[in-house]
Amino acid sequence: MSRRAPPGARTGAAGSGSTSSSALAAINTEDMCPVCKTIRYLNKDMEFLINPECYHSMCSNCVNRLFNDGPNQCPYAGCHRTLRRKGFRSAFFGDLAVEREVDIRRRVAAVFNQAEDDFETLRDYNNYLQMVEDLTFDLVSGTDAQRRAAEATLQQWEAEHKADIERNRKAGREADEQSRRRLAAEREAARLRRIEALREAEEEKRERARSREEELDSLAHGEAGAAGGAQRVQLKKRGQAVASRAVEAAVKTDVAAADVGRLSIRGLKEKKKAPPPEGPYDPFGGLDFVPSRYKLRPELTHPGIEKYKVDPAHITGGYNFDEYTARAMFEAFAGLGVFIEDEKEVGIGLSAGDVATMSAGIAAVGDNKMELA
Amino acid sequence: MATEDARYRQTSQYQLWSFSPTQLAAMRENTNAAARTRIADRLASLPAASSNTSAPTSSVNTPDPEGAATPALPEFLTAPEEAQLMNFNTSELLRAGDHAEMPDEIKATAAAFFRRFYVTNSIMTYPPQQMLIVALFFACKAEGSFISITEFGKQFGKDNPEEILAGEFLLCQGLRFAIDVKHPFRALRGAMMELSTLPDIEARQVPSPLPREYSLTLLFQQRDRLAAAEHRAREILRFSALMTDAYFHYTPSQIMLAALSLADRGLAERLITQTFHYVAPPPLSDNSGVDTPATSGPDALSNNTKKAAAPRSHNNNNNNSGQDKTQMIGSQIRDRVLGTIETCRDLLSKELPERREHWTNKAVIKAQIAPLRKKLTKCHDPDRWNLVELQRVRREQAAKKAGGGGGSDDGEPDDRTLDGDAAVFGEALPVPPKRRKVGAGATGGGAGQGKGDPFGGVL
Repeated sequence: MSRRAPPGARTGAAGSGSTSSSALAAINTEDMCPVCKTIRYLNKDMEFLINPECYHSMCSNCVNRLFNDGPNQCPYAGCHRTLRRKGFRSAFFGDLAVEREVDIRRRVAAVFNQAEDDFETLRDYNNYLQMVEDLTFDLVSGTDAQRRAAEATLQQWEAEHKADIERNRKAGREADEQSRRRLAAEREAARLRRIEALREAEEEKRERARSREEELDSLAHGEAGAAGGAQRVQLKKRGQAVASRAVEAAVKTDVAAADVGRLSIRGLKEKKKAPPPEGPYDPFGGLDFVPSRYKLRPELTHPGIEKYKVDPAHITGGYNFDEYTARAMFEAFAGLGVFIEDEKEVGIGLSAGDVATMSAGIAAVGDNKMELA
Repeated sequence: MATEDARYRQTSQYQLWSFSPTQLAAMRENTNAAARTRIADRLASLPAASSNTSAPTSSVNTPDPEGAATPALPEFLTAPEEAQLMNFNTSELLRAGDHAEMPDEIKATAAAFFRRFYVTNSIMTYPPQQMLIVALFFACKAEGSFISITEFGKQFGKDNPEEILAGEFLLCQGLRFAIDVKHPFRALRGAMMELSTLPDIEARQVPSPLPREYSLTLLFQQRDRLAAAEHRAREILRFSALMTDAYFHYTPSQIMLAALSLADRGLAERLITQTFHYVAPPPLSDNSGVDTPATSGPDALSNNTKKAAAPRSHNNNNNNSGQDKTQMIGSQIRDRVLGTIETCRDLLSKELPERREHWTNKAVIKAQIAPLRKKLTKCHDPDRWNLVELQRVRREQAAKKAGGGGGSDDGEPDDRTLDGDAAVFGEALPVPPKRRKVGAGATGGGAGQGKGDPFGGVL
């Protein structure tokens, strides 16, 4: 009898004005199939299905009834889409607008699946994301025209970049696979550790029991001193065992870490491809210091520096006269082949015009200051 | 390209301060024209009673103080007149350096600074007689000889160091902050080193055709000859190179060789032919030499044949390095170097060291310089002529600009309230304790106008 009570209550409530309408609304949206008007109360395992063609929900009975014999029109009034049985599925979200948006986003994401690494700069990547988001928004909540345009763009992109998309998808899948494998390996390692710990505890317990028994035995035999010694030996041995086991475990985990793609730290960014070797750093930007016009020889000297060569004030500090020679020789020959007149005329370096405008600029700034004063 | 040249091309002297003669002349014309228009504007905008700003500032003897206040525009200096005045002031600068017993390098640096400054600034704008002292002081610092400003001021009878310091930053700006000047003095030593090794080695190994006078009989005189040549060349470098525009048009080694050539032509040519001795190897010897565009007609041809007559011991048949060598020490480049040094020599010979007397000659000064100075007192820039005043005004401007938001003159300098757009970002950040301390110290120490000044109060 108690089963009958709710409908009775409902009919009773129906008579009493405003409360009934809200209850009816609740039933309408949540528990009543809008096609066959069956309510959940009558069919406990009623399931609502939607078709992503039009996102009109109906109960599974209606779907079976209407679409078992092949494609048919959507039973909603005014919706003329042709639906197939195969397309129906249960909605994940209660709000079908959200369901639809998620579907669209999934679809767009499958097409526009570039990663940040594919872009030269972060700015490019952000611009790309912005473009994708705009497109998605048009698809989700744009006007018809916008939606059509976005759809066209999407399909065009898909057609043009099929290979890229496929590659990215594969890469994504591989990354997923890898992370899954890593997680699994970690879980497995944790499981092994747990088992090991259990086994150890067990063993220790057994050991303790045995040593206790031995102790008791020895006490019974009246050899107190020997028992203490045995205990100490026992303890020491156990400490050794623990230490050796720790070392073993460490080695083992190392090996395990090496096995699992060398990635034992979670959240560590994967190393990118190593940049091509570019040779040692050259602080002088390619200038070389081998003189081409003269040779540094020991006999190069000057009367002007001879007296310093025996001056304790100069030689004590370790002053190297070769340095002076090298510098003097360099300055004697540096720029001999630089013909300023020719080079500056053709505009290597700063031209006269530049300098003039620059000085005019300085003067102008000065003028402004003065006028302010 | 020779590594030495590549390294020289990296210097600021080459990149910023090397010009061809036409460029330099154009720049000076520009500077002169700009100064004229600006000063004309300023003079026109001055009120009639302007004598208080301009009269007492110039250190030149002002024969007629009333002349400056005439409403009609004065006659401006032309660019050649400016050049004349600048040369005179350069000689004054060198004389001042001698008076203070400064080393050659400092004097040379100061002279270079001075001439560079007046490329983009007119003599009518900033007072040259003060700027040359500033240039000397700054050159001391640039050459690593740090002399105290009071000491320095005393040497030139300037009790107020502010007069010197006021122009310092101005000078730096005018130099475009390129304060490393490459001088030919050490280069001269290098050349002497190279030359002193030449005769005894070369005379034995290779009979060189050019310098016939370097026979073995004269060997014992070499040292004296070298010393004399070096002395003379150094004299030239100390005066002629600085009094002319040589630093703008030629590299230090070229100036050095030109000076050496003035002192002893044979030595300089010997050094150049010795350096650029390379002859292309036989397979591409004479024809290739003529084909290259750098050669200059029959002259090069004759040189090539001369070279061929004097074969040298080069057994380098590698083509590639051969071309490199031709580029670096080949005979074509030697001809160009010789030509450049010849022009530089002409330039230097305009101001031989004997001209020192010319620039200090009373009669010459009276005849040539005094009229220009007289002109200058009438046409100088009324706003810029007094450097101390100029600097004070600029500092006030800067302080006003920097202190616009916070810290006015009397108020608490750390007035941390924000107004306007800045308030969008929330409350002001707390001042770190050290900064607060410094701020407090500044309010305690600096008096009056020095408070808003980043460099502290008046010295």
